[in-house]
Amino acid sequence: MGKQEDFVLRAIEERDVRFVRLWFTDVLGSLKSVSVAPAELEGAFAEGIGFDGSAIEGFARVHEADMLALPDPSTFQVLPWRGETPATARMFCDIQMPDGTPSYADPRHVLKRTLGKAADAGFTFYTHPEIEFYLFKGKPGVGERPVPVDDSGYFDHTAQGGGNDFRREVITMLENMGISVEFSHHENGPGQQEIDLRYADALSMADNIMTFRTIVREVALSHGKWASFMPKPFTEHPGSAMHTHVSLFEGDENAFFEAGAEYQLSATGRAFVAGILEHTPEITAVTNQWVNSYKRLAGGGEAPNHISWGHNNRSALLRVPMYKPNKGNSARIEHRAIDAACNPYLAFALVLAAGLKGIENKYELPPEAEDDVWSLSEYERRAMGIAPLPRNLDEAIRIMESSELVAETLGEHVYDFFLRNKRNEWQDYRSQVTQFELDRLMPMV
Amino acid sequence: MVPAAPELARRGFRDGDAAAAAFERLGDVPADLVEQIAAVASPDTALRSLADIADAVGAKQLLAQLADDDLLRSRLLVVLGTSRALGEFLARHPDVVADLGSELSTTPLGLDTMREQMGQATDADSLRIQYHRKLLHLAARDLNAHTSFVASSGELADLAMATLGAALDIAKAAEPDADATRLAIMAMGKTGGHELNYVSDVDVIFVSETPEGGDEQKSLAVATRLATAVIRLCGQHTREGTIWEVDPNLRPEGKNGPLVRSLASHVAYYDKWASTWEFQALLKARFAAGDAELGAAYVEAIDPKVWFASTRDNFVGDVRAMRRRVIDNIPHTQRDRQLKLGSGGLRDVEFAVQLLQLVHGRADESLRSQTTIVALRALAEGGYVGRRDGAALEDAYEFLRTLEHRIQLFKLRRTHIVPDDPEDLRRIGRSMGYRTNPVENLTKEWQAHRRVVRRLHEKIFFQPLLDAVSSLPAEGLRLTPLAAEQRLTALGFRDPNGAMAHIQALTSGVSRRAAIQKSLLPAMLEWFAESHDPDAGLLAFRRISEELGESHWYLRKLRDEGESAEQLAHILSSSRWVTDLILRAPDSVALLGDDAELVPRDRDRLLTEMELAVSRQEDAAAAIRMVRRIRRRELSRVGIADVQGRLDIVRVGEAISDIGTATLQGALAASISAVEADKGPMPTRMAIISMGRLGGHESAYGSDADVMFVHDPYDDADPEAAASAALAVAQNLRKMLAAPGDDPPLEVDAELRPDGKNGPLVRSFAAYRSYYEKWSAVWEAQALLRAEAAVGDEDLRTRFTALIDPLRWPEGGATPAEVREIRRIKARVDAERLPRGANPATHLKLGRGGLADVEWTVQLLQMQHAHAVPELRTTRTIEALRGASKAELIDLDDAETLEAAWRMVSRIRNAVMLMRGKAAESMVEQADERSGVAHLLGYGGDDSERMVDDYLRTTRQARQVVERIFYA
Repeated sequence: MGKQEDFVLRAIEERDVRFVRLWFTDVLGSLKSVSVAPAELEGAFAEGIGFDGSAIEGFARVHEADMLALPDPSTFQVLPWRGETPATARMFCDIQMPDGTPSYADPRHVLKRTLGKAADAGFTFYTHPEIEFYLFKGKPGVGERPVPVDDSGYFDHTAQGGGNDFRREVITMLENMGISVEFSHHENGPGQQEIDLRYADALSMADNIMTFRTIVREVALSHGKWASFMPKPFTEHPGSAMHTHVSLFEGDENAFFEAGAEYQLSATGRAFVAGILEHTPEITAVTNQWVNSYKRLAGGGEAPNHISWGHNNRSALLRVPMYKPNKGNSARIEHRAIDAACNPYLAFALVLAAGLKGIENKYELPPEAEDDVWSLSEYERRAMGIAPLPRNLDEAIRIMESSELVAETLGEHVYDFFLRNKRNEWQDYRSQVTQFELDRLMPMV
Repeated sequence: MVPAAPELARRGFRDGDAAAAAFERLGDVPADLVEQIAAVASPDTALRSLADIADAVGAKQLLAQLADDDLLRSRLLVVLGTSRALGEFLARHPDVVADLGSELSTTPLGLDTMREQMGQATDADSLRIQYHRKLLHLAARDLNAHTSFVASSGELADLAMATLGAALDIAKAAEPDADATRLAIMAMGKTGGHELNYVSDVDVIFVSETPEGGDEQKSLAVATRLATAVIRLCGQHTREGTIWEVDPNLRPEGKNGPLVRSLASHVAYYDKWASTWEFQALLKARFAAGDAELGAAYVEAIDPKVWFASTRDNFVGDVRAMRRRVIDNIPHTQRDRQLKLGSGGLRDVEFAVQLLQLVHGRADESLRSQTTIVALRALAEGGYVGRRDGAALEDAYEFLRTLEHRIQLFKLRRTHIVPDDPEDLRRIGRSMGYRTNPVENLTKEWQAHRRVVRRLHEKIFFQPLLDAVSSLPAEGLRLTPLAAEQRLTALGFRDPNGAMAHIQALTSGVSRRAAIQKSLLPAMLEWFAESHDPDAGLLAFRRISEELGESHWYLRKLRDEGESAEQLAHILSSSRWVTDLILRAPDSVALLGDDAELVPRDRDRLLTEMELAVSRQEDAAAAIRMVRRIRRRELSRVGIADVQGRLDIVRVGEAISDIGTATLQGALAASISAVEADKGPMPTRMAIISMGRLGGHESAYGSDADVMFVHDPYDDADPEAAASAALAVAQNLRKMLAAPGDDPPLEVDAELRPDGKNGPLVRSFAAYRSYYEKWSAVWEAQALLRAEAAVGDEDLRTRFTALIDPLRWPEGGATPAEVREIRRIKARVDAERLPRGANPATHLKLGRGGLADVEWTVQLLQMQHAHAVPELRTTRTIEALRGASKAELIDLDDAETLEAAWRMVSRIRNAVMLMRGKAAESMVEQADERSGVAHLLGYGGDDSERMVDDYLRTTRQARQVVERIFYA
């Protein structure tokens, strides 16, 4: 047993932990949890905890239902909202097959494999997400319109909104669990919040995002409120994105930085951006995985709808932000399409894979988009070679269906399951009669 | 009188001119000195160093010194001939030359004396001078054969510990608060083991205590300063060079841990945190320098923990992992010349000895020595290792270590690579006493010892297990049942009691069989232990041994040819199908170990053998027995070669189909002779048309033989009698091949005949002709694509082929209606034929991108284009696919995608059959079966998910091609 495992066992004694939750994530990005008593933990470290994989969305093929959850001791944290003593703790798990092979159905393994490929090329991948979500006055019932907690806007300080206390509590809990927060503020929409996490390696960050979503929901509930990461809950207000800043490091050096280059963006950085641009249509079904995701992308404003890059251009899909010239290590690229309801393991893996492909095959970076892409006409965009993002889930799925990059990165099992699941979602959606149709057609025909 | 250059070259100097020049520098050299220099390991090196020393003190004085003292002269020359580095040291400090005279002790000094003498050093430079002086003395004793290897390496450890002590004293003198702490330096690794090299990192652990009433924090701070100073004093380079690196990284938490800890902190760490390898390292802990009382307390506190390490939870897993690391850690470029790492290296011996110490040392205190050789002797004495094996291993270890010493001495560099420059090898060989042909003899001896070490695991891990169950008194003691169980578990057997029972059954008694198996088993056990499923391999070996009864020849074969035994062990632990064939008849074992035997026989040779075998037999029953026996032997051949990874999947299909064809040929002859014996001469000619996989030359293990029977009555024969005779032959043939027996049965399936099950089993040629003229459906034409008239009457076969060619390769290609019909049938097959509950993604035959997808696509292209493209006129899928690609009927990329999928699926199907002896419909889903298949396909046992991913990807891509081309 390694030192980290021992550390966990000791911490459990010292902090009087009575329950340990083993967390993992299904293919669609929902958190799954199984509780074990501390006494079982030693066995769990050695052999894993068996569970029926067929019960988890996207995990098992029928006959191989037996799977093992192996806790990763480096992710051990006490859950702050469960009280001090006796305490409850959690660890993220890797999923294994009974013969000890890492399961290809495990999104965490998908990301680990891709990070492994990056490591083979000498790179580590860091991400830094800005997570947006709405806070409502209680959980809306079926058919009810959700009511936001306030009517404020961007950066507003809201006196009685409850948003401040709420954010403070969330941030305290995040910090308690070792997740650093960079920044938080009220966003544009009523009741809309944004919390930015401090950058970390992509695997830790994906774990952090799963934790973050849980904490936000828990804290909201404890205030009698309801938090949602739904990409676009209101037609008239902005959607919730998860703008993600990404960077590659080679050892201690930021591989995107080159002093004196245009925007200080190195050749590696340019190829990485080109890779993401080239493969964006293929990976959009994952970075924006719900029918609803495409409503946000269609809504204009801060959400990109076309595949372009720019320097401080908020309508571009990829933005090369400004940073202080002597801070080479903060060189990064902001991906503005990803939404807060994605599976972060899969989304990060695909963004990384697309970028690496660009580096590997030395893709040329197309010209920068300097104008507001929204304000250009269709033909102007065509002339400039700016393609649209998939317009809906159906289009995104169809493009992903012929993507070897996505199949290779996700692994065949996840790829296949994901496509099947999303086709079903689209089928279900397609047959819905919406309020829009009723409002428009009833009076007319 | 200085000899001339050619004369010097003749005497053994490599560079005559350089030697002559060096002699010039020495001046008037007496003849016997030239003689003596020429006799040392490297005369050139010795002479060069001697000249350097002469330059420092004056040649006259040096020559006088040498002339005065015979002992000094010979010792000096031997040292100079082996170590250039010590020569350089002497040139810097010529006064030290005098040390080598009669005052030089011929026995090791002992640690106390060594400490005292090293203690004279006062700073980094004098420490170095003193160290190298002691090292010179030691080397002189060693090279002049005054001391043994054990004594020399022990003294090197003493010197290292004394040096650490001297360095600590120097550090303390410079430290105003030295009294504020008690510091002990513990030697680890080879120093602690009292078996140091000439040049090696010296592994240490620092432990400190606060003196009574002292300040704890200050104590730790002072101790850390002292430790850092010691490391610097020993490791830094000054004008007197360096001594060695002090490596403190074996300490708790390694590089990340504090350099110095208190004793209590060490104990707490080892109680709670340490991993198994750390205990293995602690086995060597020994007090080296500083506070002796504290050192003793450390040993007393740590020792019990070492010996209870084997009771830790993960001990077995850790040990297996550590063992794998020892064997795997061979840098490729140095593999052949490494002394330390890899299989057959020194680390391998040391690791094996330590592992056995940890496993058995808890109960038996006599095993607890820190020195490898001493521990090895104790293991032999206690019966944990066979006596003779122990002694051979000891010899090998000593040889390899001595070789390492001599290599390092030359430049005092830390290296474990045997040089490949012949000049270096000559020097080293001569220094080790090989005076004639030093390079060759040294190399030969080195390889021989390396072989001993390579067979080490088998000898020292497994041989004692046999002795443990032996009823004969072994030499010395033997393993207790408990110790044997512990050892088997540590080596990866899941059921140690079962394994012991098998070992006992295999080796008990005084029969020749038992004797041979006794000598065979240690190696077999090791191979099993490395395999996917050790327990299954051992069980199968026992079953074979029991099935074979007294037929010894096979054991003799295994014993005499090591490779056969290894192959057998590999097969028994990885393929149930081949194991079963071997169990049915031992003669397959004759194929093992012989590369020429593991090549599939070609079809003509098989046909001839079958024909001869049948014609020799008196009756049909005997003939069919022969046919089936030959078939079984040939299948074994293919299976064995396949398990060993010798055959490409296409080759496997060809081979199994050839065996099937030859079997049908033999069986047809046997069946005809049976019918003739009953009814008189045959009134009709007969032929068998191979269909399906058999016709396509792509049979799998366990495939049925798909056929059609055709006959053609002689002109004067009664058609009814002819038909009934032909039917009798066909029925009899099927019955004889399908009957249960020692040799595996072959099902002959005629369902692809016209009208399928409802049609007559045998038709006349005329009946086929009129059937195909009137009725032929498109699916029948498709089935005929793989028809090959391979067996029976030659003229009939030729005519049949001519009959079907226009059907399968129709002039002008298949009509649009026919193409539509084929597509429609396939679509229905896709939807309906897949068994309930089967996974469409992993069904081998009917799944997405599976065999049917690829084959139907190829067949459609054949039906459309074969009339115009001769390359398509083949029954073989891959050949037709390549033909289509060559004729640009299909993109090269698409063709390659289809071929890759067809190969992958076919390989999986065969591998499953080989692994578990039962055919598979789908990709296996149970974890242990999957890792067995992955193992056979070369993925490695713990990479089965990657295999599944490859399978899914390859077939998905193939399906995309199929959708484009077949359903276009």
